[in-house]
Amino acid sequence: MGILLLKRLGMMLLVMLVVAFLLFLANEGDPYSIARGVLGPYAQQEQLTIWLQEHGYDKPILVRFLEWLGRVVTGDLGVSVQYKRPVAEIFWSRLGNTGILAAATFAIMVPMALILGVLAGMKEGSFLDRFISVLSIGTTSVPEYASAVLLSVIFVYSLDLLPGSSAMSNGFDIMQLILPTMVLVLYGFGYIARMTRASMAEVMTTHYIRTAILKGIPYKRVIVKHALRNALIAPFTVIMLQLNWLLSGVVVTEYAFGYKGFGALLLDAALRKDIFVIEACGLAAVFVAVLSQTIGDIGYTLLNPRIRFN
Amino acid sequence: MRSKYRFIGRATRALGGEIHEYIPEIAEQHRTGLVDRREFVRTAALLGMAAPAAYGMSGLLTGNRFIPEAMAQGKPGGTLRMAMPVQDMTDPATFPWVEKSNIARFLVEYLTVTGTDNITRPYLAERWEASADLKTWTFYLQKGVKWSNGDDFNADDVVAAVTRWLDPATGSSNLGLFDAMVEQVDSGKKDENGNAVMTKQGIAGAIEKVDDHAVRFNLKSAALAMPENFYNYPTAITHRGFGKDYEPDLSKNPIGTHAFELAEFRIGEKAVLRKNRDWWKGNFYLDEIHYIDLGEDLNAAVGAIASDQVDMIYQLGVTQLDIIERLPNVDIHEAVTAQTGVLRMQVDQKPFDDIRVRKAVQACMDRQALLDIAYRGRGTAAEDHHVAPLHPEYFQLPALKRDPEKAKALLAEAGYADGIELTIDVGDTNGPWETAVCEAFKTQCEPGGIRLNINKMPSNQYWEVWDKTPFGLTTWTHRALGTMVLSLGYRSGVPWNETHFASAEFDAALSEAEGTLDVAERTKKMEKPQQILQDAAVIPQPFWRSIFKAANKRVKNFKTHPTFYHQFENVYLDDA
Repeated sequence: MGILLLKRLGMMLLVMLVVAFLLFLANEGDPYSIARGVLGPYAQQEQLTIWLQEHGYDKPILVRFLEWLGRVVTGDLGVSVQYKRPVAEIFWSRLGNTGILAAATFAIMVPMALILGVLAGMKEGSFLDRFISVLSIGTTSVPEYASAVLLSVIFVYSLDLLPGSSAMSNGFDIMQLILPTMVLVLYGFGYIARMTRASMAEVMTTHYIRTAILKGIPYKRVIVKHALRNALIAPFTVIMLQLNWLLSGVVVTEYAFGYKGFGALLLDAALRKDIFVIEACGLAAVFVAVLSQTIGDIGYTLLNPRIRFN
Repeated sequence: MRSKYRFIGRATRALGGEIHEYIPEIAEQHRTGLVDRREFVRTAALLGMAAPAAYGMSGLLTGNRFIPEAMAQGKPGGTLRMAMPVQDMTDPATFPWVEKSNIARFLVEYLTVTGTDNITRPYLAERWEASADLKTWTFYLQKGVKWSNGDDFNADDVVAAVTRWLDPATGSSNLGLFDAMVEQVDSGKKDENGNAVMTKQGIAGAIEKVDDHAVRFNLKSAALAMPENFYNYPTAITHRGFGKDYEPDLSKNPIGTHAFELAEFRIGEKAVLRKNRDWWKGNFYLDEIHYIDLGEDLNAAVGAIASDQVDMIYQLGVTQLDIIERLPNVDIHEAVTAQTGVLRMQVDQKPFDDIRVRKAVQACMDRQALLDIAYRGRGTAAEDHHVAPLHPEYFQLPALKRDPEKAKALLAEAGYADGIELTIDVGDTNGPWETAVCEAFKTQCEPGGIRLNINKMPSNQYWEVWDKTPFGLTTWTHRALGTMVLSLGYRSGVPWNETHFASAEFDAALSEAEGTLDVAERTKKMEKPQQILQDAAVIPQPFWRSIFKAANKRVKNFKTHPTFYHQFENVYLDDA
């Protein structure tokens, strides 16, 4: 297990290094575009050249990459063009905000999806199964920007129950978290529920379940003791992949509610060509992707003893 | 007649002012109905007469007493929360957008202030005088105003600020606005072809300190709009040390003359202005003003005002009007403006260097249809010369007619017998109506043989190419005078000349109109620059649009300024 962990970590670092290099190449391959971004559209060619020399952009790209990597590792993410502040100052708090949103979403979405999926999969073709399946397909096919408007119409404009924007300009407010969380849960739960249902339905047809039922073990016990653990292997991977989806899914949701998170930051940076912010966000996204993959793989082996990575 | 003149002079002096020698004449024009009250008061105020005196005089002359709208007595205190982008706030002289100036407006102030009624009144300048030829302007400054760092406000501040604007190194758009104080000189540099690069800079001696509280501006040509130009959004007066003794960054060095301090400033999130002393100008009801950035999605702002998270929305799109109208606690404030968008073409880039191509594009446009489709008809059709019917000097030219056949013929003549493919950049910098205009225009272009591609880009990216792209839709804000925007955008070689249109004839005609005091005469003189610009077909211009703000009903005494400038001194909250 220890060796597996080390191998996985090594792989993770390698992937990150490669992606980081690609990210760097895409953003800083053309130094003039950086200088133009920082100095603005009115800057003269000479000013650009001077700026580039002052900031060491006349060195070979590999040297620049290693220097940049060194700075990133020590926590220096550069200075944001649009915010005129070190990226690290804004970045971590924004990432934290998205962390809060993601945690709230997961805390509701995962149990709800698993319960509904198991309920549906227990008796394939039953009314409950049909109902849950249609519901999950329905909600998953509504994109976030549409459900954001729909939920706003219901809870903000009609019922006047919830705040319509989530900028949290006066500090953290749990009420402002509800609508964005609802949008994400609504979109995300269906997928996990469907996967759980399929997995559960498959397990329910196996011989050992049939045997267990015929043996006279109470139905509840069969589900909880025998079916569930096996049925949860496939959804576990899906849940881990949802972590990645969340990072991109939040862009739309955060934008719709003015939530000050990672997604809104990335969108703003991309629109304004704020390259140091884009790089930081890119690295974070890669890190989450690789990490969730690794956790997924390791968790898989723990859940299913038959799987071994050698 | 003679006695009338003397009477006006005596009446004015009794009210405490020297009068400009033109005032009796325009007064007579007003009495005989040649000039309406709005224009009389505006011009008299520009010439240094106090606005109440001008209104009073108008009543005496016409017999129609003007009773100003009674201003309700407000309740002091409270916090006004405004949904608006919070961008960086460095140098007020180089502000490219009004939003930045709105936050700065409660720190640094202006020499003059133009109200929602288009009348320019004294502000940091307590009064001003113009010479008979309008070439020498003396601004007398308020005494007893203090900067937030304890320094006295005086002529040195004004001289330092205006000098900075006219220094090409500052990069301020004011350089184009104050053209009468600017000369073209050899920068000492050569371009790629070895030709001398010319640059614009302030004329030595144009800015003169008379005494501690008076500044004189010596212009090379007459300019009536001087007081109005001092209320353009990048013309806030900064402290004399700004950019000299300390970094020109207002968010780091928020030294101002206003009563507010910058208590909190987080770009992209929030700016908090807190009143921390009495305002030298008098009453100011609000204690705090919060600007809250809700991102670019207007729906978040609409949601915020619906659930009472903000009191006002900086700007509404026409598509949001329906939902806002249904909110019981919110009022919509509309202002008819000279805000517009122009489909401007760069005259030195192919294929737009051929006037026939530009004329063909112009001939395809049905302006009223674009207004109806893209802006729900909430505005007025425009005429491709960037002077609006609401501008006092507007000269009405014959209406432009759509003629696709003519477009076809022009294109054939220019060598595009099979039609031409053009691509327009659009950034929706002021809302999705811009793309809607392009989409509708695309259809209008087809019968004329023009295949229009639309290159939609994020608004910030558009602002990077707005003065470079051969063909793009650029939005322009409202300005009180038509001549202001013509000077800023269409004079040869000024920083904001995005079309690269250069016509000595146009420049001369515009200068002549700018220098003409007589309103009726000036209107006549505007025919020429308007016609030249229209004939050059550099800016097919669909319409002038009304603008909308939303405000909670508790916000009282608020009026939408056509330029989106925030003037909150009379605003109070009903539940404060």
